[in-house]
Amino acid sequence: MEKLNITLYRFDPSCDDKPRMQGYDIESDGPLSVLQAIRHVYHKVDGTLSFRNSDCRRGVCGICSMMINGRRQLTCMCLATDGMTVEPPPNRTIVKDLVFETD
Amino acid sequence: MSDGRVDRTIETDVLVIGGGGGGLRAAVAAHDAGARVLVLSKGIVGKSGLTQTAVTGFQVAFGYADPRDNPEVHYGDTIRGGYGLADPELARIFCDEAIAAVEDIESFGARFDREEDGKLIQRKLDSSQTYPRSIKKGDSLGTPIMQALRREMNKREVPRMHEMLVTKLLKDGDRVCGAIALDFQKGEIVEIHAGAIIMATGGAGELFPVHSNTPDSTGDGYALALNAGADLVDIEFLLMLGHAVLHPATVRGVLFTFQYLLTKGAKPLFNSEGESFLSNYDPEGNDNPARHIYARAVYGEVREGRGSPHGGAFFDPGSVSHETLMDSLPSQTKYLEKFGVDMTQPIEVGAAAHYVCGGIKINTQSQSTVPGLFAVGECSGGPHGAGRIGGNSLTEILVFGKRAGAEAAAFANAGNTGSPSSDEVASEASRVTSYLSRERTGPRPNVIKTHLQKLMNDYVGVVRNDEGLRETITEFERIEREDLPTMSMAEDNRIGNYDWIEALEVTAMIRFARAMAGAALLRTESRGAHYREDYPELDDKNWLQNIVIHHSANQDALAFETRECTPGPEYTASLAEAG
Ligand SMILES: Cc1cc2nc3c(=O)[nH]c(=O)nc-3n(C[C@H](O)[C@H](O)[C@H](O)COP(=O)(O)OP(=O)(O)OC[C@H]3O[C@@H](n4cnc5c(N)ncnc54)[C@H](O)[C@@H]3O)c2cc1C
Ligand code: FES
Repeated sequence: MEKLNITLYRFDPSCDDKPRMQGYDIESDGPLSVLQAIRHVYHKVDGTLSFRNSDCRRGVCGICSMMINGRRQLTCMCLATDGMTVEPPPNRTIVKDLVFETD
Repeated sequence: MSDGRVDRTIETDVLVIGGGGGGLRAAVAAHDAGARVLVLSKGIVGKSGLTQTAVTGFQVAFGYADPRDNPEVHYGDTIRGGYGLADPELARIFCDEAIAAVEDIESFGARFDREEDGKLIQRKLDSSQTYPRSIKKGDSLGTPIMQALRREMNKREVPRMHEMLVTKLLKDGDRVCGAIALDFQKGEIVEIHAGAIIMATGGAGELFPVHSNTPDSTGDGYALALNAGADLVDIEFLLMLGHAVLHPATVRGVLFTFQYLLTKGAKPLFNSEGESFLSNYDPEGNDNPARHIYARAVYGEVREGRGSPHGGAFFDPGSVSHETLMDSLPSQTKYLEKFGVDMTQPIEVGAAAHYVCGGIKINTQSQSTVPGLFAVGECSGGPHGAGRIGGNSLTEILVFGKRAGAEAAAFANAGNTGSPSSDEVASEASRVTSYLSRERTGPRPNVIKTHLQKLMNDYVGVVRNDEGLRETITEFERIEREDLPTMSMAEDNRIGNYDWIEALEVTAMIRFARAMAGAALLRTESRGAHYREDYPELDDKNWLQNIVIHHSANQDALAFETRECTPGPEYTASLAEAG
């Protein structure tokens, strides 16, 4: 059993003044990619989180790209680590939380 | 909250539903035929779906690698690979037009691997191909195809809308005239009026817990078409592969396509007792059998208690060198290694759902049985029959994408526009918005999905039988009756609410799952991708038949009908050969 604490960006432009970071504890049978960890939070911990689930999971489409610990990376291609933070890329219009407008 | 209001209405000549390879090819062709086109996709148009993830190759009978190859031989392989159930006319078109389709996509700028003399490299993927025929681009064939199609879309400025989940097709009399979609980003209900519609919604791997597909492959298109009164055909043939990586969970379902690299005599898989076993399951005793046999063989070993810890078998790293892997499968190898798979050690591989061989029944114009409703790609049915040979899918999306686009444009340009009834629109809008006002007491969509996936895996997967299928169908009916009406979301927010998408997807998934299980129950034989342990033999005397499914008059019931199929001499000759 793996235990991780991860921190995700939360912002609902329709009612929040400003974004906040929210920490989550997750438990899983084995290692998760960052994308899987986000999905895990959504399904098992906090269903009010907005995220995108339509993805290639293979590093092909680039849609899952986000700031992981401040560095822009593909969330499907990185392992989730304890203490990590995940935020949308800078200068994007936020739809809600981890969903932002694409090019 | 659950009112019957739509937030926006849009008009177009041709509506393309799906932003993968088939959808984009059709959109470009419809535009070039003079129609106003709109592409909707529940993912990002051009960056969602399966096409971009395609790996290995596609079949086109140029005859470069072996001059004996030609479209006629390709046709024979397709008919044999479909175990006699492919629609001969559709298979013929697709083999005859494949060369032109590749020339088109090359003229759009796609580049494939070439020999030093400038000719396209053609490889033999497995025994289903008489001669080497498969064209490749490294181990990422989907990328150049999608890049080229995206470029053509941009050049023509074809309008598109991202993250729009189509939930219903609208009709005027017996023909389609539009659709309702949910806009994920805005949380709005959108009504689209269209002269013709092209379904290009891809496959349904997400019906199973382990699959090679993208998570948006929930089979919506099949359910949308069924609900609109269209026929589905051959959907009991669900191709399961047996060479997907099972462990670690980070890469579960990823295809590891080593079979194309094995040297003669290699025995790629072994069980927990260290024995190789593939040849025991192949009628011809092959150590590297046809791809659907892999899944059955691994399943058999697991059932006999000789499986790997995660329900599969072990790939023997001695059967392909690491150097060859890096050379021929660089993206796959690097990807797996990134997630900690040691490619020099045994790797756990096993069954994963891969491809729905049948789908929305089309004619030579790529039109379904509903006027104005066209279908292309994995969601369509007919060209493959009971099994799809490796590399025939990408060829199909290019050939029929072009046809569907041109034909749909002609249909729409002929002034065949209808208008939806306001009752139908309002009732769909209230069905979709009803989730926003439900008591939050029932299961979330993902809970129902997980249950559905387990049922599919246990009873509608690699091996099927009468009892399991019957129980599963009863359970699907119970889920539709009891669980779906109480299914509820974590919150009733409209914007970026994935539960809302998943609730609508799960509803479509159950409908399609019920149809697939029903067809599998009816087919009391084993053929191609469909295996019944209680009827393990191919039965040509009774089952050279396609199963066609449609909605009966009672909206919730499905009607299953069998239709005689006459595969022609290519199939009969192959039987005679097999003795
Ligand atoms: C890993 C992998 C490797 C493969 N390798 C090969 C290969 O080497 N050779 C080969 O021939 N074939 C291969 N295939 C099969 C082939 O890639 C697919 O069958 C084919 O690309 C499907 O194309 P498509 O256009 O029909 O659907 P997709 O490309 O899957 O596109 C479907 C689109 O429909 C959208 N959509 C779905 N439902 C809705 C809805 N309700 N509303 C709006 N939009 C919707 C999706 O978002 C997506 O944009 C492979 C498949 C996989 C998974
Ligand atoms: S999901 Fe496509 S690149 Fe990560």
